[in-house]
Amino acid sequence: MFSNLINSLVVISIVFIFLFSLLLVFKWLLFSSQWGVVTQNLPLYAFGVFPVDQRWRPCLWLLILAFLSIVTIFKPRWSWFGKVLPIAWVGVIPLGVGLLSGGLGLLPVESRHWGGFTLTILLMSCSALLAFPLGIMFAIGRQSKLPLIKYFSALYIDALRAVPLISILFFGQLLIPLFLPLGVEINRVSRAVISFTLFVAAYIAEDIRGGWQAIPNSQLEASKALGLSQAQTIRFIILPQALTIALPALTNQAIGLLQNTSLMSILGLVELLGISRSILANPVFIGRYIEVYVWLAGIYWVICTVMALLLRQLEEKVSIQRRIRKNV
Amino acid sequence: MSHIIRANNLVKSFTKGLRALDDISMVVNKQEVLVVMGPSGSGKSTLIRTFNGLETFDSGKLEVVGVPLYSNHDERNIRAIRRKVGMVFQQFNLFPHLSILENIILAPMKVQKLTRIEAEEHAMHLLSQMGITKQARKYPSQLSGGEQQRVAIARALALKPELLLFDEPTSALDPERVNEVLDAMRTLAQKGMTMVVVTHEVGFAREVADRVLFMDSGKLIEMTTPDIFFSNAKHERSRKFLNQIEK
Ligand SMILES: Nc1ncnc2c1ncn2[C@@H]1O[C@H](COP(=O)(O)OP(=O)(O)OP(=O)(O)O)[C@@H](O)[C@H]1O
Ligand SMILES: [Mg+2]
Repeated sequence: MFSNLINSLVVISIVFIFLFSLLLVFKWLLFSSQWGVVTQNLPLYAFGVFPVDQRWRPCLWLLILAFLSIVTIFKPRWSWFGKVLPIAWVGVIPLGVGLLSGGLGLLPVESRHWGGFTLTILLMSCSALLAFPLGIMFAIGRQSKLPLIKYFSALYIDALRAVPLISILFFGQLLIPLFLPLGVEINRVSRAVISFTLFVAAYIAEDIRGGWQAIPNSQLEASKALGLSQAQTIRFIILPQALTIALPALTNQAIGLLQNTSLMSILGLVELLGISRSILANPVFIGRYIEVYVWLAGIYWVICTVMALLLRQLEEKVSIQRRIRKNV
Repeated sequence: MSHIIRANNLVKSFTKGLRALDDISMVVNKQEVLVVMGPSGSGKSTLIRTFNGLETFDSGKLEVVGVPLYSNHDERNIRAIRRKVGMVFQQFNLFPHLSILENIILAPMKVQKLTRIEAEEHAMHLLSQMGITKQARKYPSQLSGGEQQRVAIARALALKPELLLFDEPTSALDPERVNEVLDAMRTLAQKGMTMVVVTHEVGFAREVADRVLFMDSGKLIEMTTPDIFFSNAKHERSRKFLNQIEK
């Protein structure tokens, strides 16, 4: 009886609080919100301060990405497409860099003019593309029989995981130029991508190690008994299984990577968050914080959802269960 | 030179003082089927795993398929041996992420550098020998234990080995699946394959083995023909063991 009463009270108050907040949100949406800060700046959110007459380039890239995402998620039944798709996904990232930076007949655009949604996606995809092989290398290094490689890899992984990303990003901006020979300069975007890559690779290596350790020793023995070399065993027996096991964790890394790109705004890159802050600094849009941050949250949510769907496809593709289902 | 394995005074201990292999000297001849028997923990697995370098030894000398192996375990010699010696495990140890066909063609393609077409042709031939052609495109988890073990035998045969090692190939199988694997092994023996088989299957040993090796506590107790071993074993320990397993 008594516990029932408490339960009912709790439920009623939760419903009440929920309805009340809903009311506040609606009130704000209907009477006080002004979305001009979003609608009037859509090109800025999308492309940053990319030269107006060249905006078709990031636009084209985003359209290609959207197209690839749609075909990946909705899987049309074209037979050639299964083979082309992974190559397309890897290729589209350097293509983006090429389209944005220009050259080869395109007008060169300096990286400090890149920005907005385009830059966010570019930072994320470039870092992911570079960090993945590097992470695999460190994961392999950590299992190496050569002490030097083994301890260097372990040290690297532990050190990078012990330092907050934001300090690595600052270090990267300051230190990377010192490591380069005199006269060679690299821009802020590249420095950011390098720092990101180095950071994420350590986490990827750990995730892969998790998968690696789940593989029973008997698999290695079977492979050795067949005369496969150490390298062949890693390539054909361990990595395919370890990566499959690690994939959910790697998906998490990818989503974390996306969200961490927003830290770049502190370093002065005008990716989504950075461009939003500079829009907010414009006196015309003074005080429109909530609209901008709601809008930003929405965009990040959409990107995350699309990424999660895409990686879900990858998980499906590599899962043995699915291959078995296809078979029967 | 009709021997395929020659072991001289092999000694191995995992923990100090306890010898898993205690001064083992023996010879396995070409086209011979040797069955290894002994109580649990007597060192049977350790012995046959030294034959393809999965286990190291502390002293003594080993010669397998003409390749010498000393206690320093030269990696190149070990790989040379493994290219000519197949092994079948108790738990099958198939690669779960590869189809049956891929399991079999992996080593021929990567170790012997055959083309995929050559390797697949040979693999299909082996699968039909094992009576499981239909399963070629399936994955290990879709097969019964007996079928998986026959795939494992086909995989071990894919490198055209001169010697096959079996470590309790039927111990993990349901009783009604044991015979299909033993039959496959029997056929191999009839074709003249040299085999060293650790097993508790007395029927198989009696019928197929040329000799039986009995081990206890890392020692080679006796090595004789199955007729003598099963009806007239010389040693007390062998008789005790036979009494136990016949119960
Ligand atoms: N990796 C290892 N580390 C430590 N000791 C081991 C290891 N492998 C085997 N031993 C020991 O070596 C001895 C021989 O083991 P082995 O596995 O060769 O016996 P077995 O005859 O194959 O037994 P079973 O019939 O149970 O398979 C045992 O005392 C065992 O405890
Ligand atoms: Mg054993």
